[in-house]
Amino acid sequence: MIKGQNINYKSQKVSILKDVDINVGFGEFLAIVGPNGAGKSSLLNLLANEIKTDNKKNIQFKNKIFSDWNLEELSKHKAKFSQHNAQDIPLLVADVVMMGRYPYFNSQPHSEDFKSVEKAMIETDVVHFQKREYNSLSGGEKQRVHLARVLAQLDNEIENTLLFLDEPLNNLDVKHQYKTLELIKNFTQNNNTAIVVLHDLNLAAQFADHILLMEKGQVLSYGSPENVFTAETISKAYNFPCTICKHPVNDNTMILFG
Amino acid sequence: MVLSLNIGVYDFGKSSSYEVLWKFVTGDSSLPLSEKYIIWEVRASRIVMAVLIGSMLAVSGTTLQGMFKNPLATGEAIGLTSGATLLAAIAIVLGHTFEDYLPEIVRNSLVGVSAFVGALLAMIIVYRISTSGGKTNVVMMLLSGVAITSIGFSITGFLIYISKDEQLRDLTFWNLGSLAAATWTKNIILTIVLLLSYIIILPKGKALNAMMLGEKDAQHLGINVETLKKQIVVLTALMVGTCVAFSGTIGFVGLIVPYILRLLFRSDYHFILPLSAICGSILLLFADTISRTIVAPSELPIGILTSLIGGPIFIAILIKFKNTLR
Repeated sequence: MIKGQNINYKSQKVSILKDVDINVGFGEFLAIVGPNGAGKSSLLNLLANEIKTDNKKNIQFKNKIFSDWNLEELSKHKAKFSQHNAQDIPLLVADVVMMGRYPYFNSQPHSEDFKSVEKAMIETDVVHFQKREYNSLSGGEKQRVHLARVLAQLDNEIENTLLFLDEPLNNLDVKHQYKTLELIKNFTQNNNTAIVVLHDLNLAAQFADHILLMEKGQVLSYGSPENVFTAETISKAYNFPCTICKHPVNDNTMILFG
Repeated sequence: MVLSLNIGVYDFGKSSSYEVLWKFVTGDSSLPLSEKYIIWEVRASRIVMAVLIGSMLAVSGTTLQGMFKNPLATGEAIGLTSGATLLAAIAIVLGHTFEDYLPEIVRNSLVGVSAFVGALLAMIIVYRISTSGGKTNVVMMLLSGVAITSIGFSITGFLIYISKDEQLRDLTFWNLGSLAAATWTKNIILTIVLLLSYIIILPKGKALNAMMLGEKDAQHLGINVETLKKQIVVLTALMVGTCVAFSGTIGFVGLIVPYILRLLFRSDYHFILPLSAICGSILLLFADTISRTIVAPSELPIGILTSLIGGPIFIAILIKFKNTLR
């Protein structure tokens, strides 16, 4: 799906990413984890074509570099959920979700656009306040509106779409954290790919197929949750003691700090 | 439009102005020359000019607000109008010194082109100062507008000081704003500018909506933000510049119209962009009709009227944004 080799990135002469290699396949749920300032968001932004590297040949999306893609076509193949969403949008919730359908119509939305919006709003549990002002919502509710928007954006006939999410669980309550991750998991089960920056290691272990653990702009460990989440690696990355055990109910890898 | 045709200082005697216009259109030879002149060259051309300029000022205001993602961004607030006025003033006062060396076509459009260049420069300066990384700092946007306005004000003041009598009259006209100098030649130029800009700008409602998400997220929706911004910068400068060149500073139309439309349709640019083209015309035509009747047989500069409505609305928006502007 997306490949990156030797990704280097500097911002104001400070090196943010050093020689990062990444290769994400179809139908994969990849979680990027790591301490603050490890370069998780920068890596995600680079992969999502939001910022440019010095060498643009380094990243290939569906075997094509980004500058060979048509921008509008690209927006039907991949979408991104940003960490900082706009707080002031004087529109109704349904109008904001409809923005995800902008690549699909010219002036007036078609009936399938309304269907996609409706479906995405049901999935993210925002359908009951779709007629409310976006600006009157709480932080967590706004997050879900944008989640619905990116889901509506990728609701199409194209096989293998790619969704980037930067800390989608911020501000969400426990129920919606789980619902969101289940939604992403479902999305990847249709041969779509999701690359998600997460902070909660236990949730990452429970839902993700692969984990990319970053530290100081470099990949510290990359592989399945059981292989990445060892007491030694995590303590090294976060500089904080931890214990690994099995979840008593579902047998997943569980990380206990302290 | 029909009503304002009828209202005016000149009295057509027994026949109504509609009959006079009809006679003119059908080429009735019984029409006296003076009535012919009044109805066509003075009144009709002025009405058309009000419609064209009002529409363009409102659309440029709405578009700027979309680009800066803020309802306070208008030609006046961010210094576009002053930039245009300043270069137009320079062209009026200093233009005549090298006028003889220029070809006639350049000489005639000198003021217009200078106003466009002035607006464009002001626009680029404000945008560079206030926007970084796709986010606009509202305070910086307004303050750089203030700075440009004060530079423009001082240089225009200096030009007034050194200018000769005839130029002085021209300069005063810029600063107050008036549609009295309407001619059909100007209207043709305005129509060309309007069509050119609207063909590109009016279908951009969706793109301006997406800009509310932030520039990066708009890009993820397949919108080429850089191209969009360049188009907006050049075309709003073109529209504001042309309007300033022909009618002087008619302030706040680009603030009032989108403000009212936003109250009715929220910020959905898909609706408010085409509607501001229509409502801008209505507002300016209405204001112009009042301005030439309220103190008849003289007339009030129209800029005074629009600023009178615009000022309080500007304050109303400021109060609404009090908490977010910090």
